Amino acid sequence: MNDIGEFTLLVALATAIYGCVSYVMAVRGNRIDLYLSADKTPLIVWGCVLISSICLWKAFLTNDFSLQYVWAYSNIELDTFYKIASFWGGQKGSLLFWTLLLTTYTVVVHFQNRKTNLRVVPYAMAVLLVIIVFFLFLINFSTNPFERIPLPPEDGRGLNPLLQNYWMVIHPPTLYLGYVGFTVPFAFAVAALISKNLDDGWIRLTRKWTLISWFFLCMGNLFGASWAYVELGWGGYWAWDPVENAAFMPLLIATAFLHSIMIQEKKDMMKVWNMSLILLTFVMTIFGTFITRSGLIQSVHTFDEATLGYYFLAFLFVILLACIALIISRLPLLKSKNQLDSFLSRESSFLFNNLVLLGIAFATFWGTIFPIISEAVRGIKITVGPPFYNQVNVPIGLALLALIGIGPVIAWRRATLSNLKKNFLKPLAAAFVAAIALLPVIPLGSRTEIYTYATFVLCVFVMACIIIEFYKGTASRMGLHEESVLGALTTVTWRNKRRYGGYIVHIGVVLIFAGIAGSQAYGTHIEKHLNPGESFKIRGYDITYEKLVAIEATNVKTRIIAQLQVERNGSHYWTAKPEKEFYKGQNQPVSEVDVLSTWKEDLYMILADFREDESATIKVYVNPMVSWMWTGGWIIAFGTMISMWPDRLEQRRRLERFRREELLFPSPAQE
Amino acid sequence: MSLSRSIFSIVIAGWLIACSPAVTFAGSLLQDLENALMCKCDDKCGKVLINCTCSTSDKTRAKFTKMLESGLTVEQIIKSQVDEYGETVLSAPTKFGFNLTAWVMPFVALIAGGVGVKKIINSWVGKKQMTDTRDEDEIESATPGKYSKRLQDELDGIEL
Repeated sequence: MNDIGEFTLLVALATAIYGCVSYVMAVRGNRIDLYLSADKTPLIVWGCVLISSICLWKAFLTNDFSLQYVWAYSNIELDTFYKIASFWGGQKGSLLFWTLLLTTYTVVVHFQNRKTNLRVVPYAMAVLLVIIVFFLFLINFSTNPFERIPLPPEDGRGLNPLLQNYWMVIHPPTLYLGYVGFTVPFAFAVAALISKNLDDGWIRLTRKWTLISWFFLCMGNLFGASWAYVELGWGGYWAWDPVENAAFMPLLIATAFLHSIMIQEKKDMMKVWNMSLILLTFVMTIFGTFITRSGLIQSVHTFDEATLGYYFLAFLFVILLACIALIISRLPLLKSKNQLDSFLSRESSFLFNNLVLLGIAFATFWGTIFPIISEAVRGIKITVGPPFYNQVNVPIGLALLALIGIGPVIAWRRATLSNLKKNFLKPLAAAFVAAIALLPVIPLGSRTEIYTYATFVLCVFVMACIIIEFYKGTASRMGLHEESVLGALTTVTWRNKRRYGGYIVHIGVVLIFAGIAGSQAYGTHIEKHLNPGESFKIRGYDITYEKLVAIEATNVKTRIIAQLQVERNGSHYWTAKPEKEFYKGQNQPVSEVDVLSTWKEDLYMILADFREDESATIKVYVNPMVSWMWTGGWIIAFGTMISMWPDRLEQRRRLERFRREELLFPSPAQE
Repeated sequence: MSLSRSIFSIVIAGWLIACSPAVTFAGSLLQDLENALMCKCDDKCGKVLINCTCSTSDKTRAKFTKMLESGLTVEQIIKSQVDEYGETVLSAPTKFGFNLTAWVMPFVALIAGGVGVKKIINSWVGKKQMTDTRDEDEIESATPGKYSKRLQDELDGIEL
C-alpha cells in the first residue's frame, strides 16, 4: 500500500505539470485537442492524491510503523479517532492533507466552470495546478510521508497529548479549508489578469468561494480559540502567537476584500485595489504556512521538523513578483471610472473600513516579523507578545467596530444631513443611553476599563443600527403585503440574502467584540493549595475540594482527577472534575480543565498541581461573557449561510451575461 | 477642523493611549510580572508567563512571589530578568530606541493610509463634480431646474 501511495504522488505531480502546461498551450495555440486532454488532469491529480491519502490513513489505522511519519505521530494505544486526525498532526501529513483539499477544490471548480467562461477558466485551472505542483514537489522530494524506517519499531512515539482533543479533528481541517479555499479566487484573479478579462466577472464567479473560505477561516480561528481555552489550561483563548496571527491576517484582508468588491460590483470601481487584496490574501495564507514550517519565528504551533521555510519563502517571492508584474502590466485595463458623489457616502465608509482592517492586519504582521527585523538590525531577538497586540490593535479595533455600525446605514452615493439624521439619530440615542447607563456600572480607572466601556457603548450603537435596518425592511414589507412580523422578517431577509446575511454576520461580530471586552476586563482568578475538605470563595461561588482520584485510563495514560463541589447561595451548583493526564514517555502532564459555561460567565477549573498526601493546587478563573464569543461564531456561521444561499435571480443574470459574452468572444475550445 | 486633522488627532490620541504606561489595576503585582515576562522553560514554549502552565512557569511564579515578598518592585524584578536572559524575556518590545519603531509603525501606516484614502476620495469626488457640471451644462436647456432638484432629492432618499 505504501508503495502505491508513494507512486501515486509521483503520478499526480507528473499529471499536474502536464495539465498546467497543456492548459496554457491549448488556450495560446487555440488547440482543442490539447484543451480536452488538459481538462482530464484535475480529476486524475485528485484521484492520485486521494489514493495516496487513503494509503497513509490505512498505515495509521493498521499501525504500520515502517513509515517514519506514522511512527512519529501514532502508537498502538491511540484512539482510532485520533489515528485519523494524526494524518495532519505533523508537517508531512499536513502538506498532503493541504494538497488533498486543494485538489478537491480544483476538481469542484473544474466541474462547476468547465462549460462557462472558457476564456478565464483554463488559466485559472493552470494557476491552480501550478500551486498543486509546488505542494506535490515538496511532498515528493522534500517531506515525503511515505519515508520508511529500515527496521520498523514495534510501537510508535504517539501523538502529542495536547493534540489528543476532539478539536484536533475539527480545528485544523476547518482552518485548512479556509486557507486552501482562497487559492480559488486567487487563481481566478490571476486568470483574469492573464486573459485580460478584467470586468467583475471573476469576482462574481468566485464570490461564493471567497465567502466559503472566509467562513472556514473565521470558524477555524474561533475553533482554535475554543481549543486553546479548554486544552491549554491558562484561562484564555487567544495568545497572539505568530501562527494564530498568520490565520488572523488573511481573515482581515479577506474581510476587506469582501466589502470592497461590493463597490466594484455596484460602481465598477477599485479594480486594482480588489485585485491586490485577493492576491495579498493568498500571499498571507502562504506566509502562514511559511511561519509554521520555517521555524524562523518561535511559536507553539511550529512543527517539530520545520525545514521547509526556504521553499515557502521562495514560492512567496515568486508569487509576489509575478502578481505585481501582472498588475502593473494590466494597469491600463484596470483603470476604472473612479468617481464618487460625496465624501460622506457608503463607498467612503467602505474605504475606511478597508483601511482599518488592513491597519490591524499590518500591525499584526509587523508584530509578527519584528523579532526578525530586530535581530537583523540590532542582532538581538526580542519577543512581541500579547501586550503589544492588545495595546496597538484594540484602539484600531474600536474604530472598526464603529464602522461596522456606520457602513451599512450610511447612504450609497451621497449622505445628506437629512438622511444622516434619519439613519443615525436613533442608534446614537441608543448608544448615548447605554453610555449613561453603563457609567455607574463600569469603573473607568484603567485603560482596559476605558476600552471596555467604549466597546460596550459601540456594541449598542452597532446593534441599534442593525436592528433598525431589520425593522425598516420588515415594517415596509408588513405595510405593503399585510404579512405577520415573522413572515415579513423572513421574506425580507430571504429576498435580500446578501444584505441581511451580512447584517447577521455583523451581529455575530458584535457579540465577539462584547465577549472579548467582558472576558478581558472583568475576569478574575484565584489559586489555592487545599487539603481535602477545605473551601474557598470566588465571586459568590463557594468551592470545596473533596478528593483526588487516580485512574489508569489506558496502558499509556493515567488520569488524576480532583473533585470539587461548587455551591452558590447555599445550594449545590456544580461538581467540577478538572484533571491532569500523564502520558508514558512525555515529560509534561496535560491539563484537562473543567468549565461550567453560562451566558453570564464561565467557571473554569484547573488542577494545577497535587501531592501524595492528596492535597492539590486548584486554579479557578471566572471569565465573564466568554460564551458570547462562541455564540457570535455560530451567528456568523448562520449569517454566512444566508449570504451564500443560491439566489436564482442572480444565477439567471449571471448565465445570461456569460451567454452574451461567449457569443461575443468565443473561446478557443468552442471554436 | 478638517477631516484629515480629525483623523490625525484620533489616531495620535489612540497611539498615545496605546503607548502610555499601563495603569496597574486591582490585580496582583505578580499578574503584572506574568504579563510582562515570557516563560523561559527548556522546551522554549514561547508563551507569556501568564499563559504558560509548564512546571518551569510554576517555579518562576513561586520565585517571583518570594522576590515580591522580599520587597523588590515589579520594575526591579523585570530588570533582573532582563539582565539574566536579555531583552527576549520581555513579552513586548521596550518603548525606546529602535524598539520604538515596533510601536510607532502601525500608527504611522494607518495615518499615511488615512491621508491617502482621504486624498483618493477627494479626487474621485472632484472628478464626479467636474463630470456632473459638464453634463449639466449640456442638458441644462433640456431639463427644467425643478425636475433635476426633485430627481436629486429622490436619489438621496433611495436606499439601494
